[in-house]
Amino acid sequence: MSRIGVFVCHCGENISRTVDVEKVAAAAARLSGVAYATDYKYMCSDPGQGLLKKAVAEHRLDGIVVAACSPRMHEKTFRNAAKSAGLNPFLCEMANIREHCSWVHEDREEATEKAISIVTMLVERVKKNRKLVPITVPITKRSLVIGGGIAGIQAALDIADAGHEVVLVEREPSIGGHMAQLSETFPTLDCSQCIMTPKMVDVANHPNIRLYTYSEIENVEGYIGNFQVTVRKKARSVDMDKCTGCGVCTAKCPQKKIPNSFDRDLGMRPAIYVPFPQAVPNTPVIDRANCTYFKTGKCGVCQKVCGPGAVDYEQQDELVVEPVGAIVVATGFELYDIGPKPAGSPYEGYGEFGYGTIPDVIDGLTFERLASASGPTGGKIVRPSDGKEPKQVVFIQCVGSRAREKGISYCSKICCMYTAKHTMLYHHKVHDGQAYVFFMDARTPGKNYDEFWRRSIEEEEAVYIRGMVSRLYQKGDKVVVMGSDVLVGVQVEIEADLVVLATAVQARTGADSLAQKLGISYDKYNFYSEAHAKLKPVECATAGIYLAGACQGPKDIPDTVSQASAAAAKVMTLFAKAELEREPIVAKVNERNCVACFYCKKVCPYGAVEEKEIRDRNGNLIRVVAYVNPGVCGGCGTCQATCPSKSVELDGYTDEQVIAMIDAL
Amino acid sequence: MTNTAQKLDTIPLVDSGYWSSVTEAIRTEAERLLSSGEVTAVIGYRAGRRSGTALPAIATSPEQARELVFSPGCVNNLALYLTKAKKDVAKKGKVAIVAKGCDLKALAGLMGESQLKREELVIIGVACAGVYGASADRSLPLSEETIARKCRECTVHAPEGVDLTAGSVPALPQLSPEEAEELARLEAMTPRERWAFWTEHFSRCVRCMACRQVCPFCYCEQCYCDRNRPQGVETSPRPAGNTAWHIVRGMHLAGRCAGCAECERACPMDIPLNLLNRKMAQELKELYGHEAGIAPKEKGPLAEYREDDDQSFIK
Repeated sequence: MSRIGVFVCHCGENISRTVDVEKVAAAAARLSGVAYATDYKYMCSDPGQGLLKKAVAEHRLDGIVVAACSPRMHEKTFRNAAKSAGLNPFLCEMANIREHCSWVHEDREEATEKAISIVTMLVERVKKNRKLVPITVPITKRSLVIGGGIAGIQAALDIADAGHEVVLVEREPSIGGHMAQLSETFPTLDCSQCIMTPKMVDVANHPNIRLYTYSEIENVEGYIGNFQVTVRKKARSVDMDKCTGCGVCTAKCPQKKIPNSFDRDLGMRPAIYVPFPQAVPNTPVIDRANCTYFKTGKCGVCQKVCGPGAVDYEQQDELVVEPVGAIVVATGFELYDIGPKPAGSPYEGYGEFGYGTIPDVIDGLTFERLASASGPTGGKIVRPSDGKEPKQVVFIQCVGSRAREKGISYCSKICCMYTAKHTMLYHHKVHDGQAYVFFMDARTPGKNYDEFWRRSIEEEEAVYIRGMVSRLYQKGDKVVVMGSDVLVGVQVEIEADLVVLATAVQARTGADSLAQKLGISYDKYNFYSEAHAKLKPVECATAGIYLAGACQGPKDIPDTVSQASAAAAKVMTLFAKAELEREPIVAKVNERNCVACFYCKKVCPYGAVEEKEIRDRNGNLIRVVAYVNPGVCGGCGTCQATCPSKSVELDGYTDEQVIAMIDAL
Repeated sequence: MTNTAQKLDTIPLVDSGYWSSVTEAIRTEAERLLSSGEVTAVIGYRAGRRSGTALPAIATSPEQARELVFSPGCVNNLALYLTKAKKDVAKKGKVAIVAKGCDLKALAGLMGESQLKREELVIIGVACAGVYGASADRSLPLSEETIARKCRECTVHAPEGVDLTAGSVPALPQLSPEEAEELARLEAMTPRERWAFWTEHFSRCVRCMACRQVCPFCYCEQCYCDRNRPQGVETSPRPAGNTAWHIVRGMHLAGRCAGCAECERACPMDIPLNLLNRKMAQELKELYGHEAGIAPKEKGPLAEYREDDDQSFIK
């Protein structure tokens, strides 16, 4: 007969508000095999854990059910408590009566019934639990950082400075990301290039960083401490070892009329190019889609002029496998496409704003390139349509953001501040110009942020109009902005020379497919999900994978850098251990019943299943069966679900346990 | 029914010379394989005691090879004899097997599930015109009236990837797809009507397990549904357990079933089991573009994850 203890938690009022916890404890006490049951306000607190330890000794308990929150939250806490009370920690299980019950129900009576059922099931499961011993595995003390924007750069530098190797993978030909495109940054107006490029050079020169630019993640296998990452190095058509970065090829390329996406298509670049002069690495890449040689087989000028003979038209994509122990995801964001609704997009476009049809309607990032000293105009603010200096500029905030009817309900967080910055940059460069801003409200929570915003109004003469814009249209060479001023209660019409839209920050296209490769979760906007909104803001629910920057949600530079360093710290914490202790919740094969169809091997995401030969004492092969390597098994249970003869089972989740749980209902 | 209609139904689909030419081709090849020692046994058919019937037979000598036949009575799926459930056959050494199109699909499935190795097998494929239905009058030739329901929609008359093809595919008339029509009729029902249809059928099940024993894919030595600790499925023939059994079998066969309809043929209670299998196959075709074919696949659709897999069911 088991002697199980049931500990029901109130979770302050989180559980007791909807669940009659005393009744649950009383019902548990009546279950067969339960020797002790009680309830307490905060079971996870020190006195709560003390209660549990005392009960183990007093009632000679041989199993524990803690009816409280999700095992994700406190399973470790209570298993440690059980361990310190002298019990095998794997004889302690959580009955989740918070997320699965009190939080999702209103009717107190029914919720209490359900809580009792959940506890009853867990009691049955614990009765059949076995004592397990943790498995230790070695850690590969190298880290992968995906994305070479400011988040990835900061994380890579921090980890590398701590003495660990870092593999930094960037999709574009150069690292730098969005920050390299910015002109000046709030709230101090220091030049983005001046603070960014030294860090880029540090990455290139760091002995512990292996940099893969123009590369993408092809495949990820393994688990915390032991990932195998396949990186696709796209064919650059230029040998990086031979190229000296002299720039002759880019100067001589006869195909010079390709819009430069780094300059938001305002400037032109050749077919063999570096995206911007400060690029790291300073090695050109051939844009094969636009290169005359690749299109027609004729030309070959870059190869002829290249002194070191670095141009290689035959170069192929290359796959490299990198073993790493931890992964930092820092893939950043992209801007909302504000044209008419794109096919297949869940978001409504802003056809009424004429973006893409009216040339003098641009987005914020395009304005950054206009204002940037290294931009296509050398920092002179001009209109894309006729190159004239705009005298009236209208900025519109919240385009796409906080617009539920357009498909996005969140705030993009950075636009209030960068629009305030834009008005200042404009005022500094066009002294007789006037900036207007249409805004819903100004959100400036950050150190020196509100002061910065006030300055744009009080010292830099920006006119802020509270209200929304309904329509933009071209009239002669002006863009007419029709909006409302809700504070005064009038309709406003401004004839603007240039309109700048502060478009929403959005997850990268393809963010979902990368998440599927990594096995991490993402929200409905494809932003990556952290393990806990407050207490685990940089960890993914998948162990060994951490988040940094705007891939998790809209973020400004200070927040991004903080999070990148936090992710790096998490990686270092992992690497500080000699060996990794893993949960022994692994699959085991019943070799008597296994029919060797190897469906388990086909579905195992960890590659943990091997073929094992059973031989008699004379060495004759009797049969082949599946074998699960416990060091590699991630305990997901996919094999168990797939096995047709039900010959493989996960410790703690055996069919016997699951059916006993169902029978108990 | 008019006389003309009846006559049309009973017109032989192929002339009798076809059957003897296939038989002769099988015998010649089996004899050659056995006398040269290339194989130790040939799995095929021999004539049954009653006319129009045939039995699975394992020929181990050239003399026995002369007894092999092919006739419309060769209904069994011989792939069954190469599974773990029939260990004794595999112990004989390298074997040859006579395989109709539907048997070939089962062989391909078994190869995909690591149960067979192509190089350890000689396959004598049959250019098959079809076989008798379960209730056919075997004194009549193979005709639109006597042909098995599954054969009406056969897509694998011509074998592929075999070591030798016995006979050549005769010209066959297009037959109306009865099973597909029945499936469409079921699809058109409301869920409640469909549930009533199946519970009525399952209530007759006597749990003789003939469907399992005859299925080439039910090769587990210890069937999950026979276990008692824990008991997954009730073993006595009562409605709830019967339904559970047939649903478990249907799910286990999803993406694997070769459509040989042996389960349906063997069922003494006339439960239209192949309809269940067809339904699962249809689902997998719609969701993953998968069809059981003659070429072995490394991974079935349910053992594989692709980024473009339909995920509309996760909401």
